[in-house]
Parts: sequence; C-alpha cells; structure tokens
Amino acid sequence: MTLTVTRSDAPSGTDPVDRAADLVHSLHARPERRVNASFMGLIPFLVFIALFLGVPVFGIVLAAFRVADVNDPGNYVPSLANFVASFRGASWDAMQNSLQISVIAALTGGIIGLALAQAILTTRSKKLTAVVTVLTSVLANSGGVPLAFSFIAAVGNAGIMTGLLSLTELGFTLYSSGGLILMYQYFLIPTMVMVVLPTLAGLRLEWKEAAASVGATSWHFWKKVGLPIATPAILGGFVLLFGASFATHASAAALIGGGGVPLITLRIDSGLAGGNLAGQENVAMALGVNMIIVALLVLLVYMPLQKRSLKWFK
Amino acid sequence: MVQMRQSTRAARGIRVVAPGLSWALIILVALYIAVPMICALAFSIYVPTTGFTFEPYVESVRDPGFFGALSLTLLITVLTVVGLLAIMVPTMVYLHLKAPRWRPVMEILCTIPLVVPSIALAAGLVTVLRSMASFGRGSAPAQISQLLQNPDLPIVLVGSYIVLTLPFVFRSLDAGLRTIDLRTLVESAHSLGASGATVLRRVVLPNIKGPVIFCTFFCIALCLGEFTMAVTLGYRTLPVWLTQIAGSNFRASISMSLLINALTWALLIAMTVLAGRAAPARALALKGHES
Repeated sequence: MTLTVTRSDAPSGTDPVDRAADLVHSLHARPERRVNASFMGLIPFLVFIALFLGVPVFGIVLAAFRVADVNDPGNYVPSLANFVASFRGASWDAMQNSLQISVIAALTGGIIGLALAQAILTTRSKKLTAVVTVLTSVLANSGGVPLAFSFIAAVGNAGIMTGLLSLTELGFTLYSSGGLILMYQYFLIPTMVMVVLPTLAGLRLEWKEAAASVGATSWHFWKKVGLPIATPAILGGFVLLFGASFATHASAAALIGGGGVPLITLRIDSGLAGGNLAGQENVAMALGVNMIIVALLVLLVYMPLQKRSLKWFK
Repeated sequence: MVQMRQSTRAARGIRVVAPGLSWALIILVALYIAVPMICALAFSIYVPTTGFTFEPYVESVRDPGFFGALSLTLLITVLTVVGLLAIMVPTMVYLHLKAPRWRPVMEILCTIPLVVPSIALAAGLVTVLRSMASFGRGSAPAQISQLLQNPDLPIVLVGSYIVLTLPFVFRSLDAGLRTIDLRTLVESAHSLGASGATVLRRVVLPNIKGPVIFCTFFCIALCLGEFTMAVTLGYRTLPVWLTQIAGSNFRASISMSLLINALTWALLIAMTVLAGRAAPARALALKGHES
C-alpha cells in the first residue's frame, strides 16, 4: 500500500489551482471527446446495416457451420459436414459447372468487349463513343427475367431465330451451359467495354506520336506502351466478368429453373426450397459461404488492378 | 508543320483493327444486342394465327395476379427509395461534416454487399427468419420474424434492396459531397439561423441534386427488376409474377416484361446521361445485382 496520491485520485473542485488544472485538462481533452462521440450520428446507419446485412451474413455463416444433432434432431451441433458435402456430389458438380461457365463466359465477353472497345475508338466517331458510353452502362445493368425472356423469344425452343436459322438442327439449345454463356454476353460484353474503353481512349495521342517519331511501328507501340498501360484494366475487366457470371442467378433461374444445367446459385435455391429434412438447407448455406469467398477473392484481385489502371490518368 | 502533320498521321495510323473490320465487329455486336429485343417485341405483337395484335398486352394486364404484383412492386419501390434517401443522405452529410475519420470504415461497410451475392443474402435472411419463427407462435422472435415478412408490407425486402444499392449509392453521394464546400455551406446556413433539418433540405440537398437523382433512378430500376431476393423470400413482385405466368401464357409475360424492361432502361439511360460521362471508377459500383 503506497501513500502516494496520484493527481487523478485527488479530489478536485475545492482548490482553485486544482479547478484551473481541471479546466485546462478538460480543454485539452475536448477534441478527443469529440472524436469519440463522432460516430454517434452514424448509429442509425450502423444499426440498419447490422440488421439487414450483418444478421443475414452472420446467419448464413452460423448455419453453414452446424448440422442437426443425430441423437436429437431439434438441436444443432457445430460441424464442417456442410462444407464437406458442398464439395461432393451434385453440389460440387454445380460449383464446378458454375466456375467453368464463368471462366468461358468471362474470356468470351472479355475478348469481344476488348476488341469492340478498340473498334469503337478506331472509328473515331465522337457520337458513337457517346452513345456507347450510355448504352454500355445500361446494358451492363440489364439482366434478370426480361433478359431470359427475350432470349427465349429469339433462340429458345420456339424462338424466331431458332426457326429462321434452324438452330435446333445445328444442335444448339438455349437451355444448356452454352446457352447460358451466350445469354450472359448480353451484360458481360458491355461491362468489359465500360471497364476498358476509358483506358484505351486515354492512351494519349502524344504517346503514339512520340512512339511514331522514334520510328515505332504500330506493333511496337502496343507491345511496349499500349498494352503495359492497358493490362491492369483488361485483367480487371476479365476478373469482374468472371465474378458477374459466377453470381448470376435471376436470368439463369428464369431460363432453366430447377433442372437442366447445374449451377451453384440454382443449387442454393433448391436447397432452400427442400427444407431441412435432409440437411440440404445447411449445405445450401455452405454453398452460399463458398460463393461469398469467391466474390471476395474477385474483389480483392479487382480493386488493386483498378487502382493501378487509374494511376496513369490522374 | 508538314513534318508535324506527317507524324500525327503516322500516329493516327496506329490501329489494331482496320476500319472496315471495326465496323463489321460493331455491327455484329449491335445485332447481338438488338435481335433478342426485336424478337421479344415480335413475339408480343404478332401471333401467327391472328396476325398483328395487342392482345398479349391486354391479357397480361387482365391476369388476376397483375394488380397485386404491380401494387406490391410499386409499394416496395417507393419505400426503398424513401428509406434509402432518409438513411443515406443524412449519414453521408454527417460523415463528411463531423466524422471524416470514419469514412474508410463506411466505405468498407458499403462495399460488403458486392461480395455477398444476392442469392447468398437471401439465403441468410431465410435461415434467420426461419430460426426466429421456430421459437414458436407468439414468442418475440417469431413475432418480429412475422412483422418483417408481412405479406402486404415486406420490410425485409425493402431493407435488403437498400443494402443492395449501398455500394453504388455510397460512391455516388460521396463523390457529390466532395465536390461542394459542405462545411462553409452548412456553417453559413447555421449562422443565419437555419435548423439542422432546414439546412439539409434547403442547402445541402439542392447542391447534391445530381447524385441524389442518380441514386433514386438506380434504386427504382433495381426495385422494378430484382428477382432473386423476392422469389427466395416468397414475394410475388412483378418479375416473380412474370415467371409464374410464363408457363401458361408466354406472350402475355413477354409483353409485360418488355414494358418493364423499357421503363428500366429509360431510367438507366436518364441516369447515365444526367451524370455525364461515366467515370471508369464507377464500373464496379454499376455492376448491379440484377443479372
């Protein structure tokens, strides 16, 4: 036990010197207090996001990591069984097929979108560029039920183009992985154009002139200047397209519903609809967590690439 | 001078594709974009047995489920827009004025919806609502679960739609607030005796009108087209109703789907034109949850 009385233990408010000291202290402390209280105004937002984003995400993770107790089906026990199940059988088929479709769709859309963006710049038409800028941001957001319906009308079983081009005889069917890839291009190509067009347009004329003045050919310019600058945007575009295809649910569901093509999004659907009799609901939750992880990876790869590509144009 | 021109010409000559090929590609992609829409339109106004007709449009409106789906969708849309603006405008203004330190945290929070696919968000909500309901009839969790899922006023859907718009809305409002001298505006309004609400309504809002309209249009477009969350949570909004009648009357469903699509596109076009040239940074936020 020590006899030393520290300053904060001393009773304040009696001695004028102490009061002055307190005042000075409080003046100094003020900014700190304001900082501590500064998030008060954010509380309504934080409560909202906790309820409508935090709770469901917590819910899906919690449900993914538990299974019904064998001895007492009303109770749940922590388990990795759902994740094990998500990498087996039909769930794993769906995951693999989703990944495969997304890679092919992203490569297709990325290459076409890149070529299209360059083609648009090659025309040097300002009007066309302006129209394309608006259209791409609209089409990149299109999708869902109307997209599926218009493709059914065009190249579905009784579609107009199906009849005109006798696609069925050629072995084409919209209700397949290939059909989905074809349909996804509707929003993937515009997304790619939206991502790479500003970068390609930003490859400054001066750079091209400089390259030309030292005798560079078109091939040299693209190899040494154009592509290195455009690469982050192009890679970012591919990654973004992959993520968009992988997460697509609405148009795929409207097109093929429950059967036909296995997809991770549709697998979650059927797991939820089936109820928890066979524990399928919790496997669906594990699939949902797997999807979140994939989307997180996509974002973590995309963001630095985007930052890198913006660097040249600031 | 002559030399300069020559070098410019040489530089311009740097092309990856020849102009002819460029136009060929542009026309091909334009066809790919246009053909499905034209086919859908043809489907909705031309019936092989009767010729040109608007019958599918009439039939879709006459469907017993139509008005229920329409009014539910409109109600959700209005509530989502109002809720979104009521939460996000004051929060973003506050963030810029009083709590700039929290901006990185807010940015991360508002970006999270991008990594939670809407089917996963819906699955999470379903499991939470089901386990709350399993507490038994009359218990508090079950009652909250019921309240959130009120069939006439699906609060759970409104809240989720607000969440889905957050990545986009945060960026848009954040950029808008950065371009104005918010502090000076607010302080001078206060010194003239305006209250907090008045400042927000009459000083801040008119200065961020562009981003606010932008967010509103985006939000409406999302609410009109969103399918995944609505169908998973069991609500018969317009897109869900469309898929339900497609089996029995595809022409009716496609005609209504065209109308909804036209409205959505009009909103998105208006939004993009209003915002001027889309910045590349917007690409990520724009990639919506509708696909």
